[in-house]
Amino acid sequence: MSELDTLLADVRRGFIPAHIYNDQEIFALERDRLFSRAWVFLAHESEIPAPGDYVVRRVLADSFIVARDEQGTVRVMFNMCLHKGMQVCRAELGNASHFRCPYHAWTYRNDGRLVGLPFHEEAYGGEDGFARLGQSLLPAPALDSYRGLIFISLRPDPPALRDWLGDFAFYLDLYVHQSQAGIELRGPQRWRVKANWKIGAENFAGDSYHTPHTHASVVEIGLFREPKASKRKEGALYLAGLGSGTTYKLPPGGTFDSQLAYVGYPGEMIDVMAATWTDGQRRLVEQDGFMVSAATLFPNLSLVHNWPVIDETGRVVPFISLRQWQPVSERETEVLSWFAVDAGAPEEFKRQSYQAYLMCFGSSGMFEQDDVENWVSITDMAGGSMARRLRLNSRMGLTSDDKPIKPPLAGFSGPGTAYQGFGEFNQRHWLSRWADYLEGVA
Amino acid sequence: VSGGERPLPYTDPRHAQAHQFLVEEAALLDAADYDGWLGLLAEDVRYLMPVRVTTARGAGFDSLADMAHFDENLYSLRKRVQRLATEHAWTEDPPSRTRHFVSNVRTFQVGAGGAGGAHPASESEADLVVESALLLFRSRGDTREADLVSAGRTDLLRATSAGLRLARREITVDESVLRTQNLAVFL
Repeated sequence: MSELDTLLADVRRGFIPAHIYNDQEIFALERDRLFSRAWVFLAHESEIPAPGDYVVRRVLADSFIVARDEQGTVRVMFNMCLHKGMQVCRAELGNASHFRCPYHAWTYRNDGRLVGLPFHEEAYGGEDGFARLGQSLLPAPALDSYRGLIFISLRPDPPALRDWLGDFAFYLDLYVHQSQAGIELRGPQRWRVKANWKIGAENFAGDSYHTPHTHASVVEIGLFREPKASKRKEGALYLAGLGSGTTYKLPPGGTFDSQLAYVGYPGEMIDVMAATWTDGQRRLVEQDGFMVSAATLFPNLSLVHNWPVIDETGRVVPFISLRQWQPVSERETEVLSWFAVDAGAPEEFKRQSYQAYLMCFGSSGMFEQDDVENWVSITDMAGGSMARRLRLNSRMGLTSDDKPIKPPLAGFSGPGTAYQGFGEFNQRHWLSRWADYLEGVA
Repeated sequence: VSGGERPLPYTDPRHAQAHQFLVEEAALLDAADYDGWLGLLAEDVRYLMPVRVTTARGAGFDSLADMAHFDENLYSLRKRVQRLATEHAWTEDPPSRTRHFVSNVRTFQVGAGGAGGAHPASESEADLVVESALLLFRSRGDTREADLVSAGRTDLLRATSAGLRLARREITVDESVLRTQNLAVFL
């Protein structure tokens, strides 16, 4: 067995070589074998509603223009001029019918087509010397969307995005499909942290165990009612397809309406959710009594849904955030954190939900502040030689002969597998997919 | 405040008062005296730090209208302070060493002819609009590189019987991507 095979075998058993959280060679493999093949989230269609609207986003070192062209079609183009390689668009968002390279003025329409190069006749002899027709900025090798979420793959022949999402779509819809209007995104807040990108992805995938301690302060100050250890271990962890997540247990004996009212949704939104969601999605809330909280879609898109107290009167209002752990290097990550809200929600709800988000998550959020401190410290510790001798125990929920300490939840209304209580099933699920990609078999 | 408005002369006692307010505020923040800091805020304070973005010259905007790093009122600022006072606010335990450098202070009169005249939150002609530049130095731990956050601030200082109170602060951060691990600090 090669060193990598041994490492990946350890990872699959839940013994995590600590140095993978700060290792240049591992990062190179992630770039070459994972991010070059997986579907990676770039933007949401609500960020570019009108023709000409664009945002510029990255997949690691590759910059892409995500634009809505004059026909309303979403285009994703590699942001590098065909001539000398200049970055064609150096703003991060805006509206433009054309992108003109600042170097030699080669000009591209917002669908990527090259429409202008100066002195075409004199410099190139016209179409004969350089065939302008048919030239365009390199399109993303593959582009697909789900509920307005735009993904690209650097692999030209990936599976269809919907197939790739698999059963996780059931849970994703609870965040991004509360009504037929879908969600709208605001932001993102962007900031760089000296942490490895995997730590946040794993945390959101299933770490309900950290909540009672890491986030003790937000319960103490009365901002959030839920993370107390006694409550958190009643929640279910689910894993389905390429995603997984955590839930909170709702008060016993509630109806669909009362449970959604408990987390702060107004009646008119609850009616719409009831009409939009499937039987299984409604049963998850009403019959099973679970409310989704954090989740991660492999590799680096996470979601969170919480319901803090937003004012002195004790009003509870929920919010949703999407966030991306954008790898910069083995020890640095850019966090992109969006506020997301049902586009059909009342304006008053949107305003209050935004307040709830800002208090809890994002660059100033009171939950997120403590998370990042931990992740930066882990990354710092993982960079030395001693970390190469340490295998972190990520086997929570398993006996020594690899059996779950308790069986999966019977009768859970969502697809995939669910466990009640603490466990690292989801993190191992995520890390096993990671291992598949690093091995090159995925 | 537009560049064409004339600030109060530096010899004006109101300028000195406003400048001293900002320096005393910075001293409270650097001493982590957050309860003292809350005491400087008006009941209806709004504390806003929009997300700054890179846009083409001529785009007409360089910050997001609907997304901020901070958009706080007294309730949320009190919660943030209460949290830091618990024994479980790990991100600030051990605490950061911070230094708030305040400079480029310009004070404007509210009221007839003054730059703050149109300020919707001003209550009297004695209120002051104050611009300042802020450089926050933040050092965490013993081995990490320190962080810098550079920003401009526009404040409305309300004149009350107890002295000046901060009623509005808009923080114009100079980076679109922050290089500090979080905003568990005030600017």
